[in-house]
Amino acid sequence: MDVQRYISSGIIENHVIGLVSEAENREMEAAIQQHPEIKAAVDAVQQDMEKYVMMLAKKPPVNLKKQILERLKENTAAEEPVTPIPQPVASDEEIPVIDYTPGTPVSPLKIWQYAAAAAFTLLVASAVMNIAYYTKYNDSQNQYASLLDNQASFTTEKDSLSAQLHHVQEELKMMKDPAFKWIKMLGTPKHQGNIATICWDPESKATYILAQKLPEPPPDMQYQLWAIVNGKCIDAGVFATGDLAGTMQKVKDVATAQAFAVTLEKKGGSQSPSLDQMFVAGKVAG
Amino acid sequence: MGAALTYTEAELVTGLKARNEKFFGYLYDHYSPALYGIALKVVVDETLAGDVLQEIFLKIWRGIDRYDTDKGRLFTWMVNIARNTAIDTLRSKGHKLGQKVQEIGNNSLIVDQLAVHPSVDHLGLAKVVEQLNKEQRVIIDLAYYKGCTQEEISKILDIPLGTVKTRMRNAIIQLRNILKQI
Repeated sequence: MDVQRYISSGIIENHVIGLVSEAENREMEAAIQQHPEIKAAVDAVQQDMEKYVMMLAKKPPVNLKKQILERLKENTAAEEPVTPIPQPVASDEEIPVIDYTPGTPVSPLKIWQYAAAAAFTLLVASAVMNIAYYTKYNDSQNQYASLLDNQASFTTEKDSLSAQLHHVQEELKMMKDPAFKWIKMLGTPKHQGNIATICWDPESKATYILAQKLPEPPPDMQYQLWAIVNGKCIDAGVFATGDLAGTMQKVKDVATAQAFAVTLEKKGGSQSPSLDQMFVAGKVAG
Repeated sequence: MGAALTYTEAELVTGLKARNEKFFGYLYDHYSPALYGIALKVVVDETLAGDVLQEIFLKIWRGIDRYDTDKGRLFTWMVNIARNTAIDTLRSKGHKLGQKVQEIGNNSLIVDQLAVHPSVDHLGLAKVVEQLNKEQRVIIDLAYYKGCTQEEISKILDIPLGTVKTRMRNAIIQLRNILKQI
């Protein structure tokens, strides 16, 4: 490098006065390090400028010294040599941020977020209501089924009651009907205390039996009614005992009879009576 | 100024780095007029110049650890801090170019300074005002005290951009010749 030429180029004066670019400044710093002559030239210009500065010196207002020294003390006490300046800068930066936020229109993303949140809330609410209503529906269904059951059982009961009532009415009719003859059959000597009654209309030939008191037969046996005409036993049908014993049971029509008798026979009845198994018997009155 | 004892620059720097208040008092007494002069020349307004001076001393106080004696003299370092701080203040106030020109071109400012402030180097300044032509003084002041760029100076003085640096050099050489006579 031609140092003399560099010195007389004017870059030194312009460097000191602050009229060179950043690149030229760096070049100058390097040149100062390398060449003492250049450093001397720079120092000389600096001293000229400082002399000029000294000519324009002016005593500051007297109260400033105290003020400044106190600020320096505060600064030392705070012990923040690097960061105290940014405080006003930080507050300046905060204002636009605060101002900016309310002015921002809600972004599409936000809208979707809100919509999704709302949809999810509705979904949850809907699910809760579904569960609640399904539970109620199930309860109602169960109640309805039990009501149907009740109604069915009431219907059955009504049917059975009306059947019973019909039966009782029939019995009453027979009892009131003067055409019917009542024949009381008492226990044979072997079966004392047993009683059954025949209700017979000789004209219509309708015959009923009321087994008031007969012992329960073995499972394979059944009671059979016989109409006795001139010493001959005519089958008048089998009849049940147990629950039906208290009611009038229709048996086979009987045209003529002088007496009635009940024997215990094998199930389904026999052609001829087992006379040794006669339980009750009674004569038709005159 | 006028303190009974004086320190060498090395002693002063050591004292300042130790954050010794006595040394700062000394520094203030000896250098505040020069630094205040810079502030006033840059921002013109006295109250504002006072604020700038506070800022300058705070920066010296905080930055003294970064000051390297090998890089240059303490005064040069402080003058640069003062210029930068004052020019930054000027820029933050949104000073227009026209204002700078008016302030710098105003001779009465210097005349006023001559008349009112006895501490100023009357003879020196008077010689500078007398022997440095107006364009030379303005070109130095615009760059040094207002932080103007080459382009701005070219516009203000209505001279080609390429000649700004040459004229600057000539002005400073002229200043040096005047200063040699004093």
